[in-house]
Formats: sequence, structure tokens, C-alpha cells
Amino acid sequence: MVAESGTAVRADLPHRTMPRARLTVTDVSKSFSGRTVVDVDSLTLGDHPIEGLIGPNGAGKTTLMRLIMGSLKVDSGKIRLEREGRREIELSRLPAHKIAQSGVVKSNQVITDFEGLTILDSLLLSVTPARREHPLHLAGERATYDEHRAAIERQLDDFGLEDSRRVALSAGEKKLVDIIRCLLLRPAVLLLDEPTAGLPGEVTRKVMDAVEKLAADGTTVVIIEHDLAVIWRLCAQVTFMAEGRVLLRGEPSDIREHKTVVESYLGQGHV
Amino acid sequence: MVLDTFLITGLFNVVMLIGLALLLHLQLGLTRIANFGVVGFWGVGLYTFGVLYVRVDWPFEDPIQFVVCAVLATAAAGLCGLLIGWLIADLDVDGVLVGTLGFATAVAILATTEQGLTGGARGMGGLRFPYDSGDVAVNELIWLLVLVALVAGILAYVWLVHRAPYGRLLIAIGSNEPLARSLGKPVTRTKLGLFTITSALMGLLGVMYGVMVRFLEVSSLGIEVTLATVVGLVVGGSVRVLGAVVGVLLTVGFFDIVIQSYLPLPAEWYTQTIPLMREVLFGVALILVLVFRPLGLLGHMRRDRLMKRIHGG
Repeated sequence: MVAESGTAVRADLPHRTMPRARLTVTDVSKSFSGRTVVDVDSLTLGDHPIEGLIGPNGAGKTTLMRLIMGSLKVDSGKIRLEREGRREIELSRLPAHKIAQSGVVKSNQVITDFEGLTILDSLLLSVTPARREHPLHLAGERATYDEHRAAIERQLDDFGLEDSRRVALSAGEKKLVDIIRCLLLRPAVLLLDEPTAGLPGEVTRKVMDAVEKLAADGTTVVIIEHDLAVIWRLCAQVTFMAEGRVLLRGEPSDIREHKTVVESYLGQGHV
Repeated sequence: MVLDTFLITGLFNVVMLIGLALLLHLQLGLTRIANFGVVGFWGVGLYTFGVLYVRVDWPFEDPIQFVVCAVLATAAAGLCGLLIGWLIADLDVDGVLVGTLGFATAVAILATTEQGLTGGARGMGGLRFPYDSGDVAVNELIWLLVLVALVAGILAYVWLVHRAPYGRLLIAIGSNEPLARSLGKPVTRTKLGLFTITSALMGLLGVMYGVMVRFLEVSSLGIEVTLATVVGLVVGGSVRVLGAVVGVLLTVGFFDIVIQSYLPLPAEWYTQTIPLMREVLFGVALILVLVFRPLGLLGHMRRDRLMKRIHGG
């Protein structure tokens, strides 16, 4: 299951010391109907280009990502974004769209799309600046396309999406479009919630290559993934969550052999 | 005279409802704001204009008086749009329906009870065209042409919106608000802006109507305007640019002009039977379309064709 060479490739990444955005989560809790689903004392994401977040179902991983993205509000605590040379931003005080504008973007676990919009529409939407989406600015379509044409076509070619002037039909296509939207934004922090779920093997490899390239260019990437081969291959740091808490953090080789992880998540006999 | 007064009035109503349906297309068809209080915003424009024009002793005369009153009435409708839009911003479809319908009802009640200003159930006269050709029928025809120009402008705007990033943003918000937010799109602000502008224009259409009829009656603030607008839009196709035009022509146009003008109906029908029959037929048309062609006669949005036309491929 695990490609042993993955660690070696990861360690060689020259950008590992590149200044990159960091997310700090401090004393954050979130409850639903009296049940605490996230209770994180302290967690920093972004010391490494790509970090993994693993744990059994119901561990609070996706909820933590939603708290970071502002689609859920924290009950208490703070989530901050630190970027070198810029003022620290307290994300937990911002509305969701401001968080995205500050450079934190997430691809979705649940397949989601804009009904009625074509693939090209969907990609152009992600890169169109606010000034061109004004009700009195009705002539910016061609200019937006011309500015981003090369990047969009490169991504479409890389992922084998040939006809972008149609709506995405399959779940896999919608998932891919969701990921490409995130890649086009070149975010400071990219949160990927099960990015490879529902994608064929070849496309999964392309997604991972694209994520690695983005990380190499300075984006901090955090991945939730049940396909642990992806985690072991890409991540330099892995956080293990269970019952809403961060139980362990460390290098993949340490995490995968830790007794707690093996007993509560991986099971005996995992590779 | 080429057109008689009856036909001019009928055409005026059809063109005005096309304008309202086009604005509702932006709200409901693209952004999925289920405004069931169209008549409320239209009525705010109508009555604000009427009250300002008739009750206020302006130091200037037409056409400046008309322009000032029309601008203020349009702004009042826009302000109501901003307020109601803010109140319904986070509600689901049912909440928006009830909220906007409640607003329209409140406007009708205010127009009825504030007798000192609006004349209440007795109505209010004193409105006139901002020009005088010496012939009422010619004045009405000119006013119809002014309305046609205004609605053509609205149609052109809607056409351009479909081809602009702004239109794509509206569709994205209507389709999936959380996803649009996650891409950094200011969903609430965009919806508020749209609702304010379109409500203001609905108010302007109310101003146009007030000048045309020259007598304000609270009965005009009933459900009929909203119903005709919604039925026209849904029958034609709520997501297509021309859906509003086709739908209103096939429903209101067909009934108010073709049937009433060219079918030899008994004269006594015009008081009660025809208005009742109109609502019944509109209801039947709505049900048939929703059952057999839920997206309306013109069907899907077809962004695929539009993207190919704009960007090739």
C-alpha cells in the first residue's frame, strides 16, 4: 500500500523551507446538539508543504476544515492565518467569502457543482476578479478569458477534459472541476477533503502531481484522505484525529506504526 | 388614429408585464430569489410617484416635476428592495416567498389605510402625462412608445448580463450559494445589489403605469400583477432571456389583446366573468407547464451554446 520511495521524494523537496502560509488553530471547539465534534487545543498547519489529516469517520476532520473555511462558525477559540510579510488574519472572525479571498481555498468532500454552468463557466468563475462581476460592468467576459486562457487550457489538457463548453456530467468530472477551480486560484492554503474519492487511478495520479507542483510553488496543502497511500506518499507531516481531538502529530512513518493509530484506525495487519 | 385606446392600454399592460417578468427573470430565473411580491415594489413606485406628484406643491412644472417624482419613486422602491432583500437574504425559498408576499400585502394595506395621502379606497386622481399633444390618444401612444423603449433597455441589459461575468455570478449564486462563497464571491452583497436594482426598476414601471392610467386605485395592488408576471415567466421559461417575452405574450398578450379585442364576447362578461376567466386560464396554463414542461416553453439555459458563441470551440 505504501510506496517507500515516497518519503525520499518528499524529503528532497527544495521548497520545504520556503516561507509559506500557516494556519494556527487555538482552543477551537464546535458542538452540535450538545455533542462536541471538534475540540482542538492547539494545531499548526503549514510547517511542511503538504500535511495530512487522518482519522476514523466522525473524527472531526471535515468539520475542522469547514470551521477553517467559515462554512461553520466556531463555538469558541481562534483560527488564524499567518503569511510572511502580511498582517495576521483571524479567519474565525471573517465570513466565508472573505476567508476565500484571503487565500484559503477548499475542495469539497461531497461532489458539488453549479447547475447549469459549463465547465468553462465554472473555471472562469473562480478566476474572475470582483471588479468584473459588477452589475454595470458588462463587457469583461472576453478579457477574463483571454487573461486566463493559457492556465485554463493547460489544466484541461493535463486532466483530459477536452470539451469545456459543456456541463460536467459524471461525478468524477464534477470532482475534477472542483479541484481545478482550486488549482487555478493558486491559493496560499489549499484544503483538500478526500480529493481522490471517486476518481479513476490515472486521474488520481494527475491530481496528486498537480498538488505537489502547487505545493512546490509555495502553497500550503492540507489533505484529508482515506486512501492512505496518498497520505504516505505526499505528506511530510500527518495529524491523527479521533473524537474531535488531535491525538497525534508526526512524520508518516511514526504515525502509521503508532499503537493508537493502528488500533483505532488502521487495524492490525495494515501495511 | 392607428391604435384605439383599448388596444393601447392592452399593449401597455403587456409591455409593462414583460418588463416586470424580465426583472423577475434576473431575480428568480438566475439568482433563485423567489420574489412573490412583485406588485409590492411596483406599487411603491406607483404610489410614491402619485403622492409626490399630486400632494406636493413643487416649485417647478413638468417635465421636471415628473422627472423628480419618478426618480424619487424609483429610489423609494429600490430602498424597499434593499430593506426587504436584507431581511430575506438568509431565508430559504419558502421564507422568501412569504416575506415578499407579506411586503406586497403591507404595501396594499398602507395604500388603503393612508387615505390622507393616497385617497384610500376612493382612489386618487390628478396624475397627467409630462407633455401634452392636445390629443389623449396620442399622449397615450407616445407614453406606450416610451415604455417600449424602457423595456427594450431592460431586455438589452438582461441580454448583456447573460454574456457577462456578472450573469455567471448570479447563476452560480442561484445554483449553489455555499460553493460560490467558498470561491470568495460576496453572495449576500451580490443578492442585495441585484434585488435593490431590480426592485427600483419595478418601481419605475409602476411610475410608468401611474402616468398611463392617471388614477390610482388600491385594487391594482392585488395579486394580479404578480400572478401575471410569474405565470408569464414560468410559461416562457424562467432561465432564458426571451422566456419572459414569449411567456407574457402567450399568456397576457393572448388573453388581454387577442381574446378581449378580437373575440365577440358578450359585453356583460367584461365586468366580472373575464377577469375571473383570466385568472383561471393563467392558473391552468401554469399547472400544465409545470407538469409537462417544468422549465417552460423555451427550456434549459443552454450555456453550452452561449460559451461556444462567445469563446469559440
